[in-house]
Amino acid sequence: MLELTGTITARQAKAQILDDMDIERERGITIKASGVTMEYEYDGQTYMLNLIDTPGHVDFHYEVSRALTACEGALLVVDASQGVQAQTVANAYLATESEAEILAVINKVDLSAAEPDRVAEEIEHVLGIRKNECFRISAKSGLGVEELLEAICELLPPPADRRDEPTRALIFDSHYDEYRGVICYIRVFSGSLKLRQKIRLMGEGRTYQITELGKFRPDMRPCDTLGCGEVGYVIANIRSLSDVWVGDTITDDARPAPDALKGYHPPMQMVFSDFYPGNNTDYLRLRDAFDRLALNDASFSFVPQNSPALGFGFRCGFLGLLHMEIIQERLERENDIDVVQTAPTVSYEVLLRDGTVKRIDSPSELPDRSHVEEIREPFVKLELITTSDTIGGIMKLADARRCKLLKSDYLSPTRVMLEYKAPLAEIVYDFYDLIKGISHGYATMDYEFTGFEAGELVKIDILVNGVPVEALSLIVHRSSAELRGRKLIIKLKRSIPRHQFEVPLQVAIGGKIIARETIKAYRKDVTAKLYGGDVTRKMKVLKRQKEGKRRMKSVGNVQIPQEAFMSVLDTSD
Amino acid sequence: MAELAAGLQEDRTCDSARRAHKTECDAAGLYVHVPFCRSKCRYCGFYSVPAAGRDTGRLVRALLTELDRHEGAAFRTAYVGGGSPTALPAEQLIGLVRRVRERFGRIEEFTVECNPGQVEPELLEGLREAGVDRLSLGAQSFHAAELERLGRWHSVEEIGHSVAMARQAGFDNLGLDLIFAIPGSTLEDWRYSIEAAIALNIRHISAYSLSFEPGTVFDRWRRAGRLEAVDEELDRTMYEWAVERLERAGLEQYEISNFARRRFECRHNLGYWQNRPFVGIGPGAASYWRGRRREHDPDIERYVAAVEDGLEPPGSVQTASADDAICETAVLNLRMRGGIDLAAFRQRTGHDAMETFAEPIRRHRELGHLDVTSRTIRLTWQALPIADAILCDFSSLD
Repeated sequence: MLELTGTITARQAKAQILDDMDIERERGITIKASGVTMEYEYDGQTYMLNLIDTPGHVDFHYEVSRALTACEGALLVVDASQGVQAQTVANAYLATESEAEILAVINKVDLSAAEPDRVAEEIEHVLGIRKNECFRISAKSGLGVEELLEAICELLPPPADRRDEPTRALIFDSHYDEYRGVICYIRVFSGSLKLRQKIRLMGEGRTYQITELGKFRPDMRPCDTLGCGEVGYVIANIRSLSDVWVGDTITDDARPAPDALKGYHPPMQMVFSDFYPGNNTDYLRLRDAFDRLALNDASFSFVPQNSPALGFGFRCGFLGLLHMEIIQERLERENDIDVVQTAPTVSYEVLLRDGTVKRIDSPSELPDRSHVEEIREPFVKLELITTSDTIGGIMKLADARRCKLLKSDYLSPTRVMLEYKAPLAEIVYDFYDLIKGISHGYATMDYEFTGFEAGELVKIDILVNGVPVEALSLIVHRSSAELRGRKLIIKLKRSIPRHQFEVPLQVAIGGKIIARETIKAYRKDVTAKLYGGDVTRKMKVLKRQKEGKRRMKSVGNVQIPQEAFMSVLDTSD
Repeated sequence: MAELAAGLQEDRTCDSARRAHKTECDAAGLYVHVPFCRSKCRYCGFYSVPAAGRDTGRLVRALLTELDRHEGAAFRTAYVGGGSPTALPAEQLIGLVRRVRERFGRIEEFTVECNPGQVEPELLEGLREAGVDRLSLGAQSFHAAELERLGRWHSVEEIGHSVAMARQAGFDNLGLDLIFAIPGSTLEDWRYSIEAAIALNIRHISAYSLSFEPGTVFDRWRRAGRLEAVDEELDRTMYEWAVERLERAGLEQYEISNFARRRFECRHNLGYWQNRPFVGIGPGAASYWRGRRREHDPDIERYVAAVEDGLEPPGSVQTASADDAICETAVLNLRMRGGIDLAAFRQRTGHDAMETFAEPIRRHRELGHLDVTSRTIRLTWQALPIADAILCDFSSLD
């Protein structure tokens, strides 16, 4: 599309031109939405098309819904060889909710494995878009792209003409540039933005002067004005990272709009994990790095956290697991900070005896049992699309994870969509990896939060040498509590080194000890031979031994290594 | 010249290392490494290659050339080890020993490692005559099955024969090496070996717990699951039993793995644990000289080529910082039953051990690992089997 509209030349074309993070190209995914402005001659007129490329993965709904708010229409792209995926369905629902017109596009029809007819059937069956209305294209060869561009001009509604109204531009994304400060990605809904205009951020309240504005073509190209309906960027000497929030409305300071645009629902964070700097002196650097990440990613949050076992760090909230992995990777890659991360947990609601409801993000926040009436856990509607020959394995796994089948639907003779009601805690850690394994990579999954529900949840406490260690406790369903507790202390037994004394590990549920393992005392730790030639090597080994002791956290007089804290949610054997 | 200048420069920067060198220079040791064996034993991690088909004479000539470069050094002890020095033809080994004696007249203890089954009266007499006064015999075990498992090629009988031959040749200072916790061994097996060694009226016994050195056959086998290390509890029982039994037999423990009758301690090895300077000759050998730790690469060909070209043998050099010297001295001293001699420590390092290691000393005293008197700091009897867990806290100063 970019080539056909002359936005880029064939020579510039490289795969994934809009994905400029290394991590996006490596993983072949889009994480951040990005924009581009194209011009297209059709029917004697020049159309300006503003395209926002969005992520498809389940964790990035928030990015998608933000982008959709800035758009009139949506191209729902389905791979001709892979067919409708779980996230295709979810994104189609999002587009429908934000009242965007949907054009279904079947891409890669020139691949030998392409089955455009089958895919069109699926689209009609699942999304209710008629199969003869699907566009069949090859973005690589350009096949069908002309027709698609014409359809965009023809079928998608143009932006409403609100040129004369007070200026309102939605910030749908932003990023920080070391030299230019904050760059806001915006869509002008009414009025216009001009160079050197004095603007006001309506939510935040501060005013700025525009020093540069422009369009993405697809690189940033400055211009003097962004008119109603246009998508582009604004630079306005915004220096501080925390001064802008995505979803805010920009207006003219001299002639402000009465109301801001409808922003976004704050994203629902469902997965929490603690991050500690590997090196204590990196605490402030970690804080700065989180600041930067949070600016570009409103769905990520962090609050300071102090764990007796792990020191000073941050409790971070994420949309899902991929989101968490990506933040961690960006953190290490873009900031060169080693982090120690605890196993992810979900958030719970606790109904107290006095009738109040408390939200907790960590088992350690759970009030004493005597005050707790019930514990509620988050449930999701889970959609899985898989091949019919792997359905047995998937259903068995789902069953073991307390998922209730709501319906199953054959999209085609070989592909099935399963809909479950599932406890988030059961699918948040390794579920996706497991279904990928069972289905040899074919299955796709998406989920949507539906609400908190009371369950038979209990807290497992782990006592190390008689001392309860909060960072090791977890909340689980009663049915699996005992098994989980037993597995956990077996893992801990492997990761906690032996001491000069026996270390008992105990599992307590509801104050009652239900299992015990013992780490035997070490009996022998001595180098038999140490002569002149061995000194340098031996000193190194001893220093490492000392270093190892120091990296561990003392709980009572027991040293616990950091890996032990990670083993909490690992349910494998 | 450049090296000397560099050495002086470092001497200025490493006060304590220099101090150690200056005060102890006249008590330095000489080690000569013979990197040949008849065949490689399955547990041995030292550098050696089978002697068969090798030009051993050329290597010995290179050793002598390297030795000549240290003329004038006042070595007090000499130790020829390996590998197996006795894998050399007798005349080459005797010639090597004779040259060391000629060059360094102040040697007061001269040890050669011997393998049972590789010695005969002429060799032993030749060594005695050339000035060797101590033999260290690699007996390892008095069980045929254990010797076989270890990959030793001598028999149990040959141990006794070698001891008899050595005495015949005039050696009364004999040391015997034994290994315990050999995979598959029982406490009974170990007791038998110790009793057999005591029965031979040996004056010095080294008792080593078998360790799985990287690169050895045993290490490979263990990782492949073909072999299992002896249970730790049994290893400890074997060790404690040996300490008790040997002391009862009049062989006092003077280092973690070494036992001797009074005045039969190996002075050369004591030098290592006192952190005195020493020079190592030969491929794979290490030196501690002028505050620098040097290690020759374990490569016979490159060693010989370099020495023949009049160059330094290829290897690595590390300058011990003042802190390194302090910590190494403490760690090495603590391996001896006598522990850290506070006065000697101060003299060698310029530091007060009680002050420098106040924190680990306090902690380990509380745990019953250290015995502290006005003159010494030593590991307690119960700390010996877990010595590394204590010594590691002395390995750096922060």
